[in-house]
Amino acid sequence: MTTCSLVRLNSPSRRLALGLLAALFAMPALIGATRAAGLDEIKKRGLIVATEDDFRPFEFVKDGTPTGFDNELIEDMRKYAPFEIKQQILPWTGILAGVSTGKYDVAITAAIITKERKQSLDFTSPIADATHYYVKRKDDKSISSIKDLNGKTVGVQAGSALLARLPELGAMLEKEGGKLGKVVEYTSYPEAYQDLALGRVDYVVNTVINLQTLVAEKPAVFELGQPVSGKSFPAWAVAKGNTELLEFLNGFIAKEKENGRFAELQKKWFGQDFPNLPVAFEPEF
Amino acid sequence: MTGGDVLAILQGAVVTVTLSLTGILIGLPIGLALAVLRWADVPIVARIVAVYVSILRATPLVTLLLLLFFALPNIGIAIGPISAAILALVMNTAAFNCEVWRAALMNFPKDQYEAAQSVGMNAALRFRRIVLPQIVRGSLPGLVNEMSLLIKVTPVLAVVGVVDITRAAVRIGAETYDPLPPFLVAVALYAPIVFALVSLQRWIERRQSKAEAAA
Repeated sequence: MTTCSLVRLNSPSRRLALGLLAALFAMPALIGATRAAGLDEIKKRGLIVATEDDFRPFEFVKDGTPTGFDNELIEDMRKYAPFEIKQQILPWTGILAGVSTGKYDVAITAAIITKERKQSLDFTSPIADATHYYVKRKDDKSISSIKDLNGKTVGVQAGSALLARLPELGAMLEKEGGKLGKVVEYTSYPEAYQDLALGRVDYVVNTVINLQTLVAEKPAVFELGQPVSGKSFPAWAVAKGNTELLEFLNGFIAKEKENGRFAELQKKWFGQDFPNLPVAFEPEF
Repeated sequence: MTGGDVLAILQGAVVTVTLSLTGILIGLPIGLALAVLRWADVPIVARIVAVYVSILRATPLVTLLLLLFFALPNIGIAIGPISAAILALVMNTAAFNCEVWRAALMNFPKDQYEAAQSVGMNAALRFRRIVLPQIVRGSLPGLVNEMSLLIKVTPVLAVVGVVDITRAAVRIGAETYDPLPPFLVAVALYAPIVFALVSLQRWIERRQSKAEAAA
C-alpha cells in the first residue's frame, strides 16, 4: 500500500512532481504568446464578441434574451459586417482577460479607457460619456455635497476604472480637509447597490449613465449625487495592436453616428444623447 | 419578477443539473480507476496519480477553470465554456472521489481477497464480485457528500459564461435592481436537487441491506 504525500516522495518521483508543478506554473507564461486574429482570419471564422450580462443599461439579459445599448448595436453590426458575428455572454471578471489573450476578438461593453488598460488593450471611439458620479440612499440626510463624503464608506466594482480613479475623489476631499473613507470592492454593481440600500456602504461610485438608470428605476430608494471625477469615456476593447479590427469597429461607430442611430440608441437607453463624443480619447489616468 | 424570469432560472436549473450529472458520471469511474491504480501500486503510474490528486486537491475549481479556459487555446486546443466547465469539474471531482474510493480499498479485508484467489478467481472477477460490491457500500456516504459539494460549487462555472441557477438569478437582479426574489427562487431550487441525490443514496443503501438480509 502506498501512503504518499508530496513530502515523502523518493527522489525520481520528487523530480516528477517538481516537473509537473513547473509545467503547471509555466502555462500562464504561454498565455502571453498568443496573437490577436487579424481581419483576414476573422472573415474566415467570424468575429467573436464578448458582452456582459449584468451591466444595465449597456448590456443585460431580459427574459433570457440579451438587450441594452451594446446589444442593439451588435444587431446593427450583424447587418453591417461582411462576416458572421458570434456572441459570448459572460460576467465582467473574464472579459478583458479573454480579449487580451485572444479568446475573444472584442469586448463590446462599456470598458472605461484608462492608461493602465491601454498597455494591453486598444480602445475604439468612446460610446458614451461616463463621468463618475456617486449615488446615495434617498433617506440619508447626512450627504448633500462632495465634502459630506468625508470618511464615509464607498462601494465600487473590483478591477474597475472607477476604483482606479477613486484617488481623484480623495484629492477633492483632501482639499476640503477631509479624506476618503473605507473602500468596499464588489464583483459587480448589483451587489453594491443592494449593500447601499441595506446601509452597509454610504455611497456607491459608478458612471452617470448607470446611476441615472438605477435612480430612474428605484427613485424611492436612491438619489444621484455630484460628479467625483474628471472626463471619462467608455469604449469597446480589442487586443493591443489589432489595428485592422479597430479600424473596422471605428468605421462602424462612425457610420452609426452619421445616420443618427447612435444618438437614437443613446436616448433610448441612457435618457440623453452625447453629440460631442471624441473620436479618439487619450486618458490621463 | 415575471414568469419569464422564473423560466430563466429554471433553465439555469437544467444547466446546473446537466453539468453536475455529467461531472459526477464521468468523475466517479475515473476516481475509481485512479484509486485502483494507487491501491494496486502500479509502478510510476501510482506516483503520477498521487501527484495528480495532490495538485488537484490544492487547486481551487475557479482557478483551474480559468486556467483551462484561457490557457488551452494557446497550445492549440479550442475549448468552449461548456466543455471547459465539464473538464474542470471532472478533473476536480475525480481527485476527491479517488481518495474516497481509496479509503474503502485500504480498509478492504485482505483475507477475503486471498480466499477468492484460493478458489481460482482471476483478478477481474475478484474485483467485480468480491471487492467492488463491498467498497461501493463503504464509499457511498463519502461519494454522495462529494457529489452534493459538486452541485453547490457549480455557480463558479459562471466566470466563463455558463448560466447556472445562481447566474440566472444574478442577471434578473441586475435587470430589476431587486435581487432578493430571484435569489429566494434559486435557493429553493438547490434543495430538491440535493435532496433527490440523498434519496437515491438511501434507496441504494436500503436495497443493499435487503439483499444482504436475504442472502
